[in-house]
Amino acid sequence: MIRVVALNKAIAAGLAGAAAMELFSVLSTAAGLRTVDMVAELGGLDFHGMPLLAHVGGVVVHLAIGICWAVFYAFFFWGRFHLRPIFQGLLFALLPATLAIVVVYPELALMRVHQPMLTLDVHRFFAPLGWATVASLLVDHALFGAALGLIYRRPVGYAVGRKPAPPRARRSGTSAPKRNPNASGFMFATGVECSYPTIDHGTWRRDEMESTRHYEFWQDDFRLAREIGITHIRYGPPLHLIFEAPGRYNWEYIDPQMAELEEFGPEPIIDLCHFGVPAWLGNLQNPDIGKALQEYAAAFAERFPWVRFYTPVNEMYVCARMSALDGLWNEQLHDEGAYGRAAWNLADASIRMSDALLERRPDAILINGESSEFYQPCCPDPEIEKIAKAANERRFLPLDLIFAHKLSPDMHELLYAQGISTADIEKRERRKVPRRSILGVDYYEWNERLIDREGHARALGELFGWYVIASQYWQRYRRPMMHTETNKMDAHGAARWLWRQWHNVQLLAKSGVPLVGFTWYSLTDQIDWSIGIAEAIGLVYPVGLFDLNRESRIVGLAYKHLIDLYKDHPDYSECKALKELMQ
Amino acid sequence: MIRSFLDAHGYDPGPSQRPLLSGAISGLLATLPAIGILVAFGSLKVEAAILGMSPLATLALGWAAMAIAGAAYARFFGRAANAVRGGWLFGMSFGFGLWAAGAVLLLPILNGGRTPADAAAAGVALSLIVWGLATGILVPFVHRPLHESLERASKNADVGPSAAAAKDESIRKQRRSTTN
Repeated sequence: MIRVVALNKAIAAGLAGAAAMELFSVLSTAAGLRTVDMVAELGGLDFHGMPLLAHVGGVVVHLAIGICWAVFYAFFFWGRFHLRPIFQGLLFALLPATLAIVVVYPELALMRVHQPMLTLDVHRFFAPLGWATVASLLVDHALFGAALGLIYRRPVGYAVGRKPAPPRARRSGTSAPKRNPNASGFMFATGVECSYPTIDHGTWRRDEMESTRHYEFWQDDFRLAREIGITHIRYGPPLHLIFEAPGRYNWEYIDPQMAELEEFGPEPIIDLCHFGVPAWLGNLQNPDIGKALQEYAAAFAERFPWVRFYTPVNEMYVCARMSALDGLWNEQLHDEGAYGRAAWNLADASIRMSDALLERRPDAILINGESSEFYQPCCPDPEIEKIAKAANERRFLPLDLIFAHKLSPDMHELLYAQGISTADIEKRERRKVPRRSILGVDYYEWNERLIDREGHARALGELFGWYVIASQYWQRYRRPMMHTETNKMDAHGAARWLWRQWHNVQLLAKSGVPLVGFTWYSLTDQIDWSIGIAEAIGLVYPVGLFDLNRESRIVGLAYKHLIDLYKDHPDYSECKALKELMQ
Repeated sequence: MIRSFLDAHGYDPGPSQRPLLSGAISGLLATLPAIGILVAFGSLKVEAAILGMSPLATLALGWAAMAIAGAAYARFFGRAANAVRGGWLFGMSFGFGLWAAGAVLLLPILNGGRTPADAAAAGVALSLIVWGLATGILVPFVHRPLHESLERASKNADVGPSAAAAKDESIRKQRRSTTN
C-alpha cells in the first residue's frame, strides 16, 4: 500500500471526469466543431449495424476507463505535489492524454481497418492524428483531470458529525492462544494507532483506526499481535464516537474488541483520550473537558471492570502543542497562553480520570505516556538559550501537573495569566500521586531538537538517545518507567532501530531505574505520520510491525525474535518493578 | 519515475513473502481467460502468422512469457500487488503497459512492421488488459499460502540482535537476497 484510496470517491471522480469528456464532445459537435468522441470511437469497433448497442458499449468502456485512471490517480499521484487539487488533477491528466495520443487513438484506428494484419511504419501509424484531433484529445483530458482533481480530495477521515461504520462483528471459533497468564512479566507491547484530532478548523475528523481499517480487521490485528508474542497492547477506543453526550454512550464501537481482548488478549492498556475530544466538547480550550472525561472514565471502568491498565490522556504535551501552539489540530491556535490553557485542561482531565478509575478499580495501573522531548541551544547566544530553556520547561508542564512537581516560575506565570489561580496550581503541586502511576516515555528520532540561530527547532536525530533523555524524566519524577512508543519511518532500518532502542532500555534498567515495559508503536503502518496527520492526504508510512495488508514487516519479525529471546530470561519473565505495582 | 512514486513507503515484499513465485503462478493462471479472448477475436492465428510459428507453439511461448511477466509484476509492485483493494488496478495498468510497450511497439519492430489489425488488434489489447486484471486479482490470494511462517522467518539471524550494528542499506541488501 502506498496511499489509502477512498474507492467511492475515486469511482465518483472517474465517472464525473469521463462524463465531462463526453459532454464536451457532444456540445462541441452540436456547435459544429470537429472533436474526438471517445464513446463513438470505442463503441464503433465491433457493433457495426447496431448503433444503440455500440453507443451503450462505448459508454460503458469509456466510464470504466475513467474509473481506472481515477483509482490510479488516487493510489500513485494524489497529494504528491503541493498544488491545489484541481491543478494536481490537470497535471495528472497529461499521462492519459499522452497515452491516448501516442498509443490508444492510433491503435483504435488500426482496429477499424478491415484486414487482419498490416505492415506499418511510423508515418502510417500516426496518420490518423491531425492537429485538431490532438487538440481535442488534450482538451478532453484536461476536463477529465479537472473533474478528478475537484472531486478526489481528503481520502481519509470524515466530516465531523458523520460516523463511520461500526466495527465488524466478532467471529467465533478462533484457535488463537489465550491471554498471557504471566501478569508480572516484563511488558512487550505494541499499540493500535488511534489518534482522532479534528483538522480544518474543527470540520474534519482524522480517525486513524478507520484509515488503517482497524474497524474491519481488528480481530486479525489482535491475532497477529499474539502471534508475535506481544503481551500488552496500547489500545484507544474512539472517544469521539462512543461518548455521544453527557450520560450517553455508544458502546458498539468497542464492545466486540473488548470481548476479544478479555478472552484472548493481549492485555490492553486502555488509552482513554488520544489527541481529540468529541465535537460537543469543542476543543482543548474548554475548561469543562476534565469533568466530562471524568464521567467517561467512570462509565468505561464500570462497563469493563476487568481492565486494569489505563492511559488516561495520551501525550498531553504533544496534544497541547499541536493544537494550541503549532495550529495543526483541534482549536488550531498559535498562542503560548492557549498552550498553557490546553495543558492545564488536559492535566486536569488526566487527574480526574485517574481518580474516577481508581474509585472503581483501586488497583488500576496508570501509564502516563508522554513524548520525551529535548531542546539544545545551538550556540551561546542568550536569546537562543532562552528559547531552548522555555521549550524545555514547556515540555514538562503537563507531567509536572499530574506528578505534583513544582512548576518553574515561568510556567506558573503562564498558567496564572490564563486565569488559573495560585491556589489551584499549588493544589496540584500538593497532590498525592497514585502509587501505581507509571511514567511512559516515548521516543522518536525527531524528539531531540536543536534551536538554530533563527530560533527555530530542528530535529537532531538520535544525538543523546533514549537512555539520556529518559534519564532526565526519571531524575525529575522518580516513577516506574516504560518505553511507551517508538518506531522508524524507514522500513529498511526499522530492525536496527528496534534493537538499538532495546539496548537503551536494558541500559536504563541496569542503572537501577524500575522499567516495566517496551513498546514498538504501532502494530500496523500509519497514515500521514510525517505530517502529524494535520492534512488528509492518506500517505502510508511503513512504521508498523505489519503493513496495511496485515503482512509482516522486517521489524515485525525482529520484534518476535527479540521477545522470543528475552521473554523467559529471569530478568524479564518476572519484572520486579511491575510485580511490586501489581501487588 | 515509477519507482520514485513507490519508493520510501516500504513497498518491498517482506522477508516472509515469495513474490516471484506467486507472481509467476498468478501470471500462468491469468493466461487462461486471455487465451479465450485471443481465440475469440482471431488474434491467436494472426500473432502466430506474424511470429512464423504454429498457434500451439505461439501459445506455449505466450504462456512462458506471461509467467515471467507475472513474476516481474509481483516483484515490481511488491506489497502494493498484495493489496486486495488495489491489486486489480495495478495488474490492469501493468497489462496495459505490456500492450503498449510489447504488442504495439516491440512486436512490430521485431517483425518488420507487421502488426495485427481489425478485430485481431482489439483482441490483443483486450487479452493483455484482462490478463493484467486477472493477475492483479490473483496475486493477493495466491501469495498468502506461499508465505513463510512468522515463526520460521523470525528465526532468521538478519532480524536478530546483530541488526543493531548493521547499516540500514546492508540490512536492505540482506533482505533482498533472502527474499529472492
